[in-house]
Order: sequence, then structure tokens, then C-alpha cells
Amino acid sequence: MRSAYNLARWLVRNGDDAEDIVQEAFLKAFKAIDSFRGGDARVWMLSIVRNTAMNFLRKRKPDVTMDLDQLEPSDRSPNPEQALLEQSRREQVRRAIARLEPEFREALVLREIEGLSYKEIAAVLEIPAGTVMSRLSRARQRLLNELAPAEEVRHELP
Amino acid sequence: MNCRDAEPLLHARLDNELDVASAITVDRHLSECRACAAQYTALVNLQKEIAARQPGYTLPPKLEGKLASRFTEKATLLAWLWSRPWQSAPTVVGVAASIVLLMIFLPRMRTAGSTNIIAAEILDNHLRALQPGHLFDVESSDQHTVKPWFQGKTDFSPPVPDLTNDGFILVGGRLEVIHQQPAAAIVYKRRQHVISLYASSSPGAEGKFVLQELGGYHLLHWSHGEMSYWAVSDVAAADLRDFASLIDGAAGNGR
Repeated sequence: MRSAYNLARWLVRNGDDAEDIVQEAFLKAFKAIDSFRGGDARVWMLSIVRNTAMNFLRKRKPDVTMDLDQLEPSDRSPNPEQALLEQSRREQVRRAIARLEPEFREALVLREIEGLSYKEIAAVLEIPAGTVMSRLSRARQRLLNELAPAEEVRHELP
Repeated sequence: MNCRDAEPLLHARLDNELDVASAITVDRHLSECRACAAQYTALVNLQKEIAARQPGYTLPPKLEGKLASRFTEKATLLAWLWSRPWQSAPTVVGVAASIVLLMIFLPRMRTAGSTNIIAAEILDNHLRALQPGHLFDVESSDQHTVKPWFQGKTDFSPPVPDLTNDGFILVGGRLEVIHQQPAAAIVYKRRQHVISLYASSSPGAEGKFVLQELGGYHLLHWSHGEMSYWAVSDVAAADLRDFASLIDGAAGNGR
């Protein structure tokens, strides 16, 4: 359940919508229970969550805002020491992930936060395992570019 | 292997998704190519950074309650259907539904628990050690040479029994750090297969041998008294089990 919510939240980037999606996905899962062909229930559930979220995003207007906590720029903080706080670094990581293109974001979230294997990710996203690898590669390269400068600034501070 | 071929494989290596042969090929490239090695280090750090910041979102308790109560209603309905023997089709669906939902709702064992992190570390360490020149700090088939070598280097004395008659040949030892703990790595050979035994002083649940398979390797973990042990190798699981019980027996006798 936690995984379902986490994935939905990363896909739609908004807490309220994520809640709706999880509820809808669970109802769908319940109705479609006889289509469950065995295997990993978590992978099955996550792919239902993803499909539900995708349908939702298709209907949603593109200019809907993301969560405030993801847009709150920690680096705008007047106190540079403040920006070093654990919390803001977490927000920084979150914002960097949230800014990734959807196909890179979902692969990265399933791998780094949910700890799924390439095979499991491939099953949820319905893509070949090789594509999982190349998407992770692109996603990580972007994160390195986004997050590395902050790391350097951190070290240069007295 | 050139850098262009290596680049995507660095990710698979990082995620422990490579078979052993490819992992070794990638590691060889990393030891030769500074640019790729730097990239790999950056990726390792990125992965650690993400893990440390825990960017995942937790389920709001309100939603959990809502889902749980809905689930209970459905479960009651299913139980009712199940109690009616003539409803055979819904019974099958109902039972399947309950099982699947229980699988989802029951708190899942965290796949990335600390034992698994250590297992991955151990396997990485073992693979790294298989590279030329990395296997030993002390190279000897004599237990009386290998065992004393650890004196003053670790605050425990690792078991280094002579298992020649059981088909496990002692070849040496080295000092390692696993999960921020000093560990004695004792190396044995079973025919052409290398077995690394890691001993460190951290007490755990006694008496249980936990076997897992990772990237074609077997890892066996157990604890005895104040010590924890890991054995890793590409030998058959049964051989590794034999090896572990011999070591465990020897550790009990202070050898």
C-alpha cells in the first residue's frame, strides 16, 4: 500500500490526487482480481496504480500545479546554513527527481525508492529490461548534473 | 570493452543486475579506465545520497484507514460467499482475492533490509577479491600462519580450521571492512571454486543458516556467540552448507 501511494504520488506529483488514484486503483484491482495470473502481487498492483495514474494525467490539464513542498526552493533561503539542513537537501533530491521526464522518473522511483529489480520494473512499465537500464542511465545522469553542483557548494562552505 | 559499451552496464553493475562474467568484465574496465571509474563512483554516491535522503512518500494514515475499512467490508462479503458451498465460482475468485489482498496489505518484508545490503556488500567484496592480486593479504595453506596474522588487526580470532580432508583447501586471508566493521576474510578453495569466509564480531540470532542467491553466487549467513559469519562462493549450495557447518564446528572448538 505504501508503495502504491509512493508511486502514485511521484507520477502525479500531488498528494490529494495520489490518494484518489490509490483508492481507484484498489477498487480496480478488486474488480479485476480474476485477471491476476499469479506472480508478484506487488508488481501487479503497481502496474494498476500506474495505469490509473496515466489515465488521470491524460485527463488532467497540463498546467495543474505540483505540490508546494516540491516547489519550495530551499536555495532561496536567506540563511545559507539553513539550506544545509537535512530537510532541505531531501527537498532538493525530491525536486530533482520530480523534474525528470515521466518515463525516467518512474523507472528511477521504482528502482531507487521501491527497490524493484530490472525485471520487476520491466513488468510494471511494460518495457524490455534493456530499456529499463537505459532509462535509469538517463535519469541518473540528469540527477548527477542537477545535484552535483550543490554537493560542491556544500564542500566549499567554511 | 570500450567506454561506450561500458556506460549503460555501469548502471546494471550498480544495481547488481549483471551476471558474474559481465560484472567481472565491467570491473576490469573500471580498473583500467579512470573516466569510467570516476563516473561509477559518482553513481555509487548518487545512489547512496538518494537512499540517505529518503525521498519516498509515506502513506497518509487517513487513507490507510479508509482503505482498510473498505477492505474489511469486502472481506466480510467474501467470507459470506465462501460459506455458501453452491457458489463455487465466486468461491474461487473470493479466495484468490483474499490471498492477493492479504499479500498486498500485510506489511511487506523490506527488500532492502540491512541483511540484504550486507549481502550485496559481501558479494561485491568477494568479486573484487577475485581480481588478480586482490585475493590475499596473507597467502598460506598453513592455518598456523593465517590465524596469527589477524592478531592485533581484529579484536577477535577468526576460525581458520584445516579442512583439507573435507575437500576445502585453505589458501590465505585478508583484512576487510564490511558495513563499517573490521572483518577477517579467510579464503578457501573447493576444487577451482573460491570460497570467501567473512568473520566479524557482531552477535546475531544463533543457529540459523540463511542461504541466499545473488547474481549466480550463494551466500550463507549465520551467527555463533559473539561472532557473525558470511560465506560466499559459486560452489553448489550443498557444498557451501557443508563448509559452513565445518567452520561453525571449528569455531565452537576454538580452532
